[in-house]
Amino acid sequence: MRNSLKVAKWEIKRNLKNKTFLISLFVTPLLIVLFGFLGTLFGDDHSEDATVYVNDELGLFASMEAIVEQAELDLELKSTDVTEADVEAELEDSENTAYMFVNETALTEGIIPVYASDDFSNEGQLQLLTQPVKGLQLQELGLTQEQMAAIAQNIIIEVQSLDDLQDNGASEEELLAGEDPNMQRVVPGIFAGILLLSIIFTGMMIFQSASQEKKDKIAEIILSSVTPNELMQGKIIGYFVLSMIQAFVILAFALGFALYKLDDIPIIEYLLQPELLLFLLIAVLGYLLFASLYVGLGATMSDISTAGNFQSMIMMIPFISFFFIGPVFADPTSTLAKVLTYIPFTSPTILLARLIRMDEWVWMEIGISLVVLVVSIWVMMKLAGKIFKVGMLMYGKNATPGEIIKWLRA
Amino acid sequence: MNVLLSVEGLEKSFKDKKVLHGISFEVHSGEIMAILGPNGAGKSTTIRNIMGIMMPDAGEVTFHNHQGKGIPRNKIGYLPEERGLYKNVKVMDILLYLADLKDYPLKKAKERALEYLEKFDLKGKENVNMEELSKGMAQKVQFISSILHEPELLILDEPFSGLDPVSQEVLKEEIRNLAKKGTAILLSSHQMNLVEEMCDRVFMIQRGHKVIYGSLEEVKREYANFKCTIHGKNDVSLLERIPEVVRVEQKDDISIIYLTKDVEAPKWLKTLPDDIVINELTLDRVSLHEIFIDIATDKNLLKESERQTFEEEVGGENA
Repeated sequence: MRNSLKVAKWEIKRNLKNKTFLISLFVTPLLIVLFGFLGTLFGDDHSEDATVYVNDELGLFASMEAIVEQAELDLELKSTDVTEADVEAELEDSENTAYMFVNETALTEGIIPVYASDDFSNEGQLQLLTQPVKGLQLQELGLTQEQMAAIAQNIIIEVQSLDDLQDNGASEEELLAGEDPNMQRVVPGIFAGILLLSIIFTGMMIFQSASQEKKDKIAEIILSSVTPNELMQGKIIGYFVLSMIQAFVILAFALGFALYKLDDIPIIEYLLQPELLLFLLIAVLGYLLFASLYVGLGATMSDISTAGNFQSMIMMIPFISFFFIGPVFADPTSTLAKVLTYIPFTSPTILLARLIRMDEWVWMEIGISLVVLVVSIWVMMKLAGKIFKVGMLMYGKNATPGEIIKWLRA
Repeated sequence: MNVLLSVEGLEKSFKDKKVLHGISFEVHSGEIMAILGPNGAGKSTTIRNIMGIMMPDAGEVTFHNHQGKGIPRNKIGYLPEERGLYKNVKVMDILLYLADLKDYPLKKAKERALEYLEKFDLKGKENVNMEELSKGMAQKVQFISSILHEPELLILDEPFSGLDPVSQEVLKEEIRNLAKKGTAILLSSHQMNLVEEMCDRVFMIQRGHKVIYGSLEEVKREYANFKCTIHGKNDVSLLERIPEVVRVEQKDDISIIYLTKDVEAPKWLKTLPDDIVINELTLDRVSLHEIFIDIATDKNLLKESERQTFEEEVGGENA
């Protein structure tokens, strides 16, 4: 163990003194923040208000404007005299614009003709503007204000879960404070997600470190002082610390950015939840699994550029789970999601995604998944150790799948 | 001289191919012992099995100064044949790291490192990145890394390969010094002249089998017959008629006459006929180099010469 720590210390020191590592340490979070920032720029651009010209013959313009204001619609209403006959010419040169004709036909037939430019995409919001017309229709039928209100009022289903009933008081307070209970999972979840991602990427550095040591032929010199297992463990520990440093830098950037952009959400409060501990545990287990995979893989290759199909495929294993993130997010309780939670190489990512999305945590599933992870880490470390022992001393060529299997059997 | 390392009955197979057949030898402290053999004979495999980098299928490796199980890695210095060092780190950093792995006190390691860098003409290079060093310089740093922790046993696999003659001299001198101070040294090489110059004992290996084992003198006495080299135009048949001659090789005006094992040099010289032309004459023993080539190329001239002598003797008796 002492030797493992020496190796770990060396790997950390060596990388921290290395310009390439230092540059990527700070450039990675900068890129992430930059993309985030660009995203919000585009977002702002998109939500620019659309202009709606209303040719109002029924005197409902004022009520429509009131609706736009109340519902915070992305629309800007303008009164106009343009007739339906001239509308084509008017629309020709305009962007994100619509013409709405509120006249007798609307009242009698219930149809409001709207002419819109090609890029107009707020049809859904326009629908809300029909409410005053509906009101006028009802008024003409001679209903009283109360009758009209009753008809105009949509009927809403209000679901209250047992939890809601139990901590009714508390949740009301939270809601009053503008807090969203979901954020308590999402924020630590994002935190752990960033951690896992940076851990996977740094895990790939282990792979490089192992294959580089083979290429530089230093492996045998090191192995004359430490056992292969000590060397392997040292690498795993060392790169774990490095990935923590990387994650810390990314998170510092992300947190700073989030605090600056979302100053009305108490991010730190959301972050420091008991859930965070479980998320961190999953991220660390994920690291150990992928790190042992990569360290074993690195020992079978003399150079990353000569990686065969077999090796490239293994290298992609940790990324398989990202293909399933979409479906799992959409339905975290689906059979697919459950099965993926129990498959070693997808379980860290998928479990994390599910825990963020699920309202009710099924501790049984979490427990099984963690056991699967721990067992597969143990197996993977054993296998990686065997491959590492032989592979590190094989110079000049990549191991074939057949050879690797032979080493595993030895 | 006390025995520091003994290897007994080492066997090793790769897949179905057996590469070591019952290899046994000893290394004493204060001596330089050479493992010789052509490429692929099993030298590096033997060394790796000693170092515990590979596990032998059978046989035993004993370190006599070491109580308890395992290999006393801290007391061994090892320079593998396939060697290199991290590229983008400073010379001193890598030296201290490797010394630290051997549990050698860092302060002492630093002092010794500076001392040795100066000795090997690398003064002022301690803060230079490894990748900026020439191949020869890097090799010297590798050598320093293998002796920095004052090992009791130093294993050098082809230490001279890739070094220029000047560096070779420095290295040779240092290896001799270490042996004088009591370090047991096991080195493998195919540079026979160097081995012949500095080794006390040799172990020659071919296809995983022991071929020769003993002190340099013994080996020479046993295998290195006299040979007489004559410069001058002479007829082969004339030379072959001289007694005690096993074989004559002629090239241009130079004739090499291989003599039988038990020849007595002064007596034999007197048997030279008067009519041969001698511009220059040397009488010496077959060198280790020639023995090596002989074994490596499976000519087994030496054995052949022994057999011939035997046949002649038998033939003579019959007549």
